[in-house]
Parts: sequence; C-alpha cells; structure tokens
Amino acid sequence: MTLISKSITAFGSLLLAHACYSAQEHSALQSFRAATSAALTSTPTAATSLPIDIAIETVVAILVILIGLVLGTSPLRPIQWREWAGKIEREGEDGFKDNKGQVNRDYMGNPFDFIEGRPNFVDIRKQRKEFAEWVKSQGQQQK
Amino acid sequence: MPSQQELDLQISPLVQESLVHNSRTLHNLQSLTASLFGVGAGILGLESYSGFLFYLLFSLITTLLFYTLRIAPASISSSSSGTGASNKGGVLARYFRSPLDFWTAGLTNGLAGFILTWTLFYGLVRA
Repeated sequence: MTLISKSITAFGSLLLAHACYSAQEHSALQSFRAATSAALTSTPTAATSLPIDIAIETVVAILVILIGLVLGTSPLRPIQWREWAGKIEREGEDGFKDNKGQVNRDYMGNPFDFIEGRPNFVDIRKQRKEFAEWVKSQGQQQK
Repeated sequence: MPSQQELDLQISPLVQESLVHNSRTLHNLQSLTASLFGVGAGILGLESYSGFLFYLLFSLITTLLFYTLRIAPASISSSSSGTGASNKGGVLARYFRSPLDFWTAGLTNGLAGFILTWTLFYGLVRA
C-alpha cells in the first residue's frame, strides 16, 4: 500500500515539476517575444494566457498527487469505545499498525487484560497440576 | 439532572486517543495538500477570487477523496462483520464526532500554507 501511494505521489510530483517548468519557460518566452517585437515592429502583441495543455497538466498532476497522499494516510480508528475495544479484541496489534507496519506508539493493549489476570479467577488447581507434571518431567530428564 | 449529551457520552463513551489520531491524520493531509494547491494556483497564474475558488474546490475534492478512499471502505468491511456502524450519524460518526467539522475544517487548516505557496510560485513563474 505504501509503495503504491509513494509511486503515485512521485509520478504526480514529476508532472507538476514539468508543468511548472513549462509555465516558467512560456512566460519567459512571452516577455522575450514582446521585447523583440516592440523593438522591430513597434506593434504591441497581446499577452497570451497560459496554454491549455500546461493548465491541464497542472490540474491532472495535482489530482494524481492528491490520490497518492490520500492513499498514504494512516488508517483511521473507531472513536466509539465499544467498537475500538472490539477491534482490539478481534485484531490485536494488527489493527493498529501504521503504513510502515509498525505498531503505533499510543497503542496501549487490550483494555480487558486486567480482567484476565485477576487473582480471584486464577485456576489454581490446574496450575498445580501443570506444575506437578513439569516437576515429574524434570525428574525423568535427570535420570 | 445531566443533559442528553452527557447521558449519551456515559452510555457510549469515546476514545480520546482515537479522536486525536483521526483528526491529526486529516489535519496533516489537509495542510500538506493546501500548499500543493498553492503551487498549482501559482502555476496557473490565478488572481484574487479565482485563486480562492480554486482552493475551495480542491479542498472539497480532498475531503471527498479522503471520505471515499478511507472512510467508506472501512465501514463496508465492518458492516459485514456485524457491528452496528450504521446507527445514527451514519458512517462518518464511526471516525469523527461532528460531520460539519469534518467537511469544513480543511478550509481553515490550510489557508495560510496555500497563500504562502500561491504567492511564491506566482512570483517564481511570472518573474
């Protein structure tokens, strides 16, 4: 995604730079022609406006860059607390990455994590059984 | 007795970080594109009202593009998974608090940058 947006933006910038250079050349040529024709024939030439192709190129370049930049924005996040928490629950860190694939700095994890770790709800018998098995396996390995 | 708005906030609370993140994303885009429009207006050699009209038109196009490329696809994918995104306020309410703010904030965000690059490129091209 980010490569697409970057290449579109780069292409648009190239077009815009070309349009800018063309417009500059056009105005320079215009002033040069006005100066020479005034010296030669002394008939004032009307200053022509920008050629239509440069104008079209400018507008197209702006639209292309616009699409590239919009595609390059980082994904939005839901503002409703319930949707936001549901998204974390469903997607975890994957839903909170920016375009470079890095998890955002202000991502603070599942808001329900503290519920999972409450001491009252720890299954102590299961943990004891697991510990006993672990001890047994350690003992077998040492023999 | 709390007002209706306070009650709504109590029932469906908002995430401040997401609000800030969304509006910052939009703000960054708009201030970046505003200076781009200035370049365009300078190249085209627009003057007075037509330049501001150009800015108005293109910032509306920016917001529209942002809406169609960023907000609409997300809402389509979420409505298929069954969350009630299309309750009151529609798709936009999922990401932004007030629709009016979303559509019009861009006009004031980038105006200074627009005028800066507009005058700069007008001067560069027509010098």
